[in-house]
Amino acid sequence: MHQFWLAVGFGLVTASVIAVAAVGLSLQFGITNYINFAYGDFMALGAYFAWELNAGFLHWNIWVAMVAGALLVGVFAVLVNQFVLGPFARRFEKIFYVLIVTFALSLIILSLVTSIWGADVRRFNMPSENPLHIGPFLLSVDQLIVIGIGLVLMVVVHLLLTMTRLGKSMRAMSDSTTLAMTSGIDTRMVTTVTWFLTGILSGLAGVVLGITAASIVPSFGETFLFVIFAAVIVGGVGSVYGAILGAVIIGMVTEISAVFINPAYKLDTSFVVLILVLLFRPSGIFARVGKA
Amino acid sequence: MAPILYYGFTLLFFFAAYCVLGWGLNLQFGESGILNFAYIAFVAIGAYIAGVTSSGPPLPGSGQSYVLGATLPFPLGLLAGGVASCLLAVLVAFIAFRRLRSDYLAMVLISISLVMYDFINNYVPLFDGADGLNSVPMPLASTLGLNANSFLIFFAVLTVVIGAFMWLIMSRITRSPLGRTLRAIRDDPDVVSALGKNVFRYQLTAMLIGAFYAGIGGGLIVEFSSSFNTSAWTVPETFIIFAALIIGGLGNNVGVMVGAFVVPVLFTQLPKFIPDIPGHPGLILNLEGAVIGVLLILTMWFRPQGIIPERVRRPDRFLARRTVAAPADAIDADQVDATASPEAAAVDAETVR
Amino acid sequence: MSVTPVTTPAVTATNVVLSGRGLHKSFGGNRAVNGADLDVSEGTITALIGPNGAGKSTVVNLISGLLPPDAGEVRLAGEDVSGWPSHRIAQRGLIRTFQLSRELQGLTVLENLLVTPIAQKGEALVNIFLRPRAVRREERANVERAVEILRDYGLYHVRDNWARALSGGQKRLLELARAVMAQPRILLLDEPMAGVNPALVDQIGDHILKLRTDGITVLMIEHNLGVVERICDHVIVMAEGRTLATGRMSDLRDNPEVVHAYLGGVLDARLDS
Repeated sequence: MHQFWLAVGFGLVTASVIAVAAVGLSLQFGITNYINFAYGDFMALGAYFAWELNAGFLHWNIWVAMVAGALLVGVFAVLVNQFVLGPFARRFEKIFYVLIVTFALSLIILSLVTSIWGADVRRFNMPSENPLHIGPFLLSVDQLIVIGIGLVLMVVVHLLLTMTRLGKSMRAMSDSTTLAMTSGIDTRMVTTVTWFLTGILSGLAGVVLGITAASIVPSFGETFLFVIFAAVIVGGVGSVYGAILGAVIIGMVTEISAVFINPAYKLDTSFVVLILVLLFRPSGIFARVGKA
Repeated sequence: MAPILYYGFTLLFFFAAYCVLGWGLNLQFGESGILNFAYIAFVAIGAYIAGVTSSGPPLPGSGQSYVLGATLPFPLGLLAGGVASCLLAVLVAFIAFRRLRSDYLAMVLISISLVMYDFINNYVPLFDGADGLNSVPMPLASTLGLNANSFLIFFAVLTVVIGAFMWLIMSRITRSPLGRTLRAIRDDPDVVSALGKNVFRYQLTAMLIGAFYAGIGGGLIVEFSSSFNTSAWTVPETFIIFAALIIGGLGNNVGVMVGAFVVPVLFTQLPKFIPDIPGHPGLILNLEGAVIGVLLILTMWFRPQGIIPERVRRPDRFLARRTVAAPADAIDADQVDATASPEAAAVDAETVR
Repeated sequence: MSVTPVTTPAVTATNVVLSGRGLHKSFGGNRAVNGADLDVSEGTITALIGPNGAGKSTVVNLISGLLPPDAGEVRLAGEDVSGWPSHRIAQRGLIRTFQLSRELQGLTVLENLLVTPIAQKGEALVNIFLRPRAVRREERANVERAVEILRDYGLYHVRDNWARALSGGQKRLLELARAVMAQPRILLLDEPMAGVNPALVDQIGDHILKLRTDGITVLMIEHNLGVVERICDHVIVMAEGRTLATGRMSDLRDNPEVVHAYLGGVLDARLDS
């Protein structure tokens, strides 16, 4: 039983990591209506930018490096949309063109990252500490900070979507782009800002993933992608709140499963959850009409 | 014999193998519109099954472990690989094809590929984990008395023969009414369903045949190389086959061949001849992926139909009765100039949207 | 609003070949169809009219199986087909067209028609490899029939063009021609004349009239009330997701609720067009 509660604690950490990533993916999908298959590589990019600032010659504190890295990925995402994804999405009606472009981007980013930083395992420069006992959980300060980041970001995103004009524009566009355009919403601007946000969130997710996994390699974001996809699909594609719920479910399931099975396979259990959802409720828990 | 000769035959082998792989994915994607981002997983299953059914049980003390150590003679192991890949296709189709949009389907497919990769890497008893198989016997080598070198040439030629045979089969399929219906499903599954056809059954057919090709291709690769491990089937490998199809030209089997030559052969081999930049060993090879990715994006923008565009099929050319053009043809409410070149219309129409 | 049915001799219980009862469909909070009933008699051309947002297209989607109804029943020649997938309903002889032309873009005009026949021999692997002659024979027969239809619709000269290269009017014609090739028993047309020039409107109207003489039952969504008056035997009026009235166009014109649904003067203006 003790093991179980420890696992729940780890589950909160994993859920936070997945949630940050899944919300970033969902926000962008809601606006652009296509999945970014390079998302995992955006995450890796954030991790490597942060690594360069943290363990490279600048020696910044990891959390500062994280924010800076995330901002850089945000800018990168905006540029990619401006010059590559946006033009393809506007020109071709069939969705597979832009999907393949994101697939191509994935390989391009992976190759560039491998070329610049090499394929060896890297680690962030962080003070090692002893984990603390918080109730039934055993978590290090870093893990607690990660959970905190997750919570803060969820609240920020929620406030953004419900209270700001930008957020309302995003929700309107997510429901119907044409309707939003005719209501006078500057869809191009909203799209650009959304890409900035998805870049930031993916960058943050990459860094916290690197922190919790205690190592980064160029493909680590890509190989984590199926966990994010599982969370997004379980929660209901297109729904940001569904993504959060899906992240919690998947995070908990993967960590708790590690109590019963070989921990090397714990991420694969997210796939089992995905299959079950596909078999019994393919549109996910918070199915969005028009997106499924 | 000069090493250049062996190199040439090795390239020939991979060209033929990638053609087979390409035709399989073309049926699924180019003809039927299924974004099978997990294609390489089907290739891998074919390779693994072909390998373990030909290798015999793992020798104790070899450090290897894998299942199904049978010793099937040559074509049987290969066919077992093809069948195994088909079984995976059935599983995938029944789980993932239920009313899923094409991009959600792609998400699920790529997830399947990543999970399989993760699992096979970790679960060593299955296919020897990350080390993989590495003493798969060379088929027919003992019966024909071949050594490693002569086997290489022999198997390359054999693969070309097998490839030619598989081309004939695929040609028949894509030129048949089945091919036409698959292309219709690619364009608009709702319309095809509204005409009374069970879209899922056709997609399953395309998945099965494509998977069979993937499995055979994988089996050929493992029997040529005598080894196969997880590094051979990462996500970039699926991408390379997609790139080959799109650059070569979607929806036609000749385009696949052109693409198979340009991408997996030309583009992955050229960098080997470029001298390394001093101080950055291996940089050129790492950038290879980026170059292929950029090339693909440029191709999709400037020439989306690929090098060999899909051609117009004229079913009435040899079949319809010759009749004198009826006067009714001249009366059209719309006096539209029928676009002279269907190919020009192809690029125009895409841009018009 | 209450339903005031105006029955005509054309609709009797015995020859109703397509019927919907109490159909409901909501999208999120939007009740697109809110209790619609309809009856279509065999061999007639029936119009489904109503202001925008009345739920006409959604009803057609429910009947043809593109969407499952939240509640209600659809019967095809007496058989309950509610909630059936579209391909099964189409196999029973109900073929539909779409409001925005959905030509199969990667196929030629001729291929668009050739794809239509349901269980073609050439679609089975066994036949492709073991019975090529039978496949060729069936292809030849299909091609001859398709060519005839294309000539009839004035599309023969573009038969080998990519369907996506056609003009808007030609695409409308192709949409109809393809449905005819499917040899339907009942044809659901979703605004067959949408966005088409006046000369072509008459031509399409003539084609539809000819379908009736061939024994095909037609249900068509149409905004052009002049066309409705010219070719339709029977009219069903929908508003706000419900059936408002049914009858002959001439009778409905005097029906105050129908007039009100079309916002008064607008109805008269359309009748003059």
